[in-house]
Amino acid sequence: MYKLIKDSITNDITIVKRLSDNAYIPFAPANTDYQAYLKWVSEGHTPLPADE
Amino acid sequence: MTLIVDGTSGVTFNDSSLQGAAASPYVLKNRIINGDMRIDQRYAGTATASTINGYTIDRWVVNQNASTGKLIAQQNQGSVTPPAGFTNYLGVTSQSAYTVGSTDWYSFQYNIEGYNVADLAYGTANAKTCTLSFWVRSSLTGTFAGTFGNSASTRAYPFTYTISAANTWEQKTITVYGDTSGSWNTTNGVGLYLMLSLGMGSTYTTGTANNSWATSTTISIPSGGTSVVGTNGATFYITGVQLEQNTSATPFERRMITNEIQLCQRYYEKCGWDQNSVPGSTSGYTGSIVSNFMGTASTAFEGINWMVIKRTAPTLTFYGSILGATETLGVVVDFNSGNSLGAASPLRIADCGYGHFNTTTSSSYGALYRVVASAEL
Repeated sequence: MYKLIKDSITNDITIVKRLSDNAYIPFAPANTDYQAYLKWVSEGHTPLPADE
Repeated sequence: MTLIVDGTSGVTFNDSSLQGAAASPYVLKNRIINGDMRIDQRYAGTATASTINGYTIDRWVVNQNASTGKLIAQQNQGSVTPPAGFTNYLGVTSQSAYTVGSTDWYSFQYNIEGYNVADLAYGTANAKTCTLSFWVRSSLTGTFAGTFGNSASTRAYPFTYTISAANTWEQKTITVYGDTSGSWNTTNGVGLYLMLSLGMGSTYTTGTANNSWATSTTISIPSGGTSVVGTNGATFYITGVQLEQNTSATPFERRMITNEIQLCQRYYEKCGWDQNSVPGSTSGYTGSIVSNFMGTASTAFEGINWMVIKRTAPTLTFYGSILGATETLGVVVDFNSGNSLGAASPLRIADCGYGHFNTTTSSSYGALYRVVASAEL
C-alpha cells in the first residue's frame, strides 16, 4: 500500500510513501521502487490520498 | 615493464591486458563494482536474514524469488581464508534440501549500469569481447550454470563452469563475445546483468552454453547446473569478480577503498551511521544528522547533499533515535528531548540531494534523524 505525499511548500505531489517500510519514493522514472509503484497502480490499485 | 604496441591491439601490457586504440580498459577495466566484496554498507558483515530477496553486500543481489528462507548470505560467511590477495568474499549457505519448482529462481546477480558498458557497443557490429573471471569455493562439486542478459532479458549468454574440488578456491574464466543484436541500455538503467545460479527451475533453464548470445524471453541459463539450495548446509562463496573488455582474464583491478565506497554510494548511501553500523540497529544519538536549529514552535527547511551523485533520485528511508530506544523507521525526533516529532517530511528528492521540512513543537528545538538513500538497479 502507498500514500501520496504533498510538497509542504508547493503542494505538488512528487513523492509516494510505501507504507510497508515507510520509504519515501520520488517520482523518478529510473527509480526501481517507483517503477514497482507504477506497476502496482497499473494493476488497478489506488494509493491513499495525500494529507491536506 | 614490457609494452607491446601495434596498430591492431593498441598497447599490450606485461600482464597481457590491452589498452585498445579506441577503448581504454585501464580507465574502466573492471565493470564490476565491489567485485572483491569489501563493501557491506547494509549489513556490516552480519548475516542477512533468510528472508532476504535483494541486495546483500553492496551491488550484489541474492535472489530468492520463489520462496525465501532457503539461503542466508553474509560477507565472509564461514570465516574461511579468502584466495591470496583478497580479504573478503560473499557467501551463501543453504538452509534446507530444497527441490526447486519450475518457476523457482535462486541466484547471485550483479546489475551493471548502462553507462558503464556503453563503450562495449552491444547491439552493434562493433560489440566488444569481454572476459569474466572470478574465484569460487563450494562444498559441492560439478557443473554450475550462469548467464548474462540485457535489462529486458530478451538476450542471453548462458554459460557453465566446473568446480572440481570441494571447499577449495578455484578461479574461473568465461569469455563473453560481444552481442551484435538486441536492445541494450546505455544510460542509467541495467546495461548488462550477470547471474550465477544457486538453483533455477525449468522455466529458466532453456539456455545452451555454446559461447554465443541468443534470443530469450526470460532469464536463460543452461540446464543441469548444480543446485546449491538442493543440499542442506551447502555453501557457495565468490570473490574477485571481474568483467573486462579483453579476450583473456588479467589480474584483478585493485582500487583504493575510498574509490570503491564512492562507486557503491552511487547506488546506496547511509547518512549518519559509520561504515560498521547497520541502519536501524542501533540506539542513541551518535552519528545522527541534525537539522537546522529552529527554536521552539517553528518550521525550517534544510537541504542535504549526497556524498556521491546517485544513479537516479533515490528512495529514502528515515530513522529516528528516540532517546534510549532502538531507531524507529520513518520518524524524526527532537534533539533536545529525544521525543518523537512524528513522521519525516522529505521533499524535492533528487539525484544530488533532498530537502526536509521540519516542524517543532513548543518544547522542542529541531529535528534529528538518519537516512538511507537507495538508487539501486
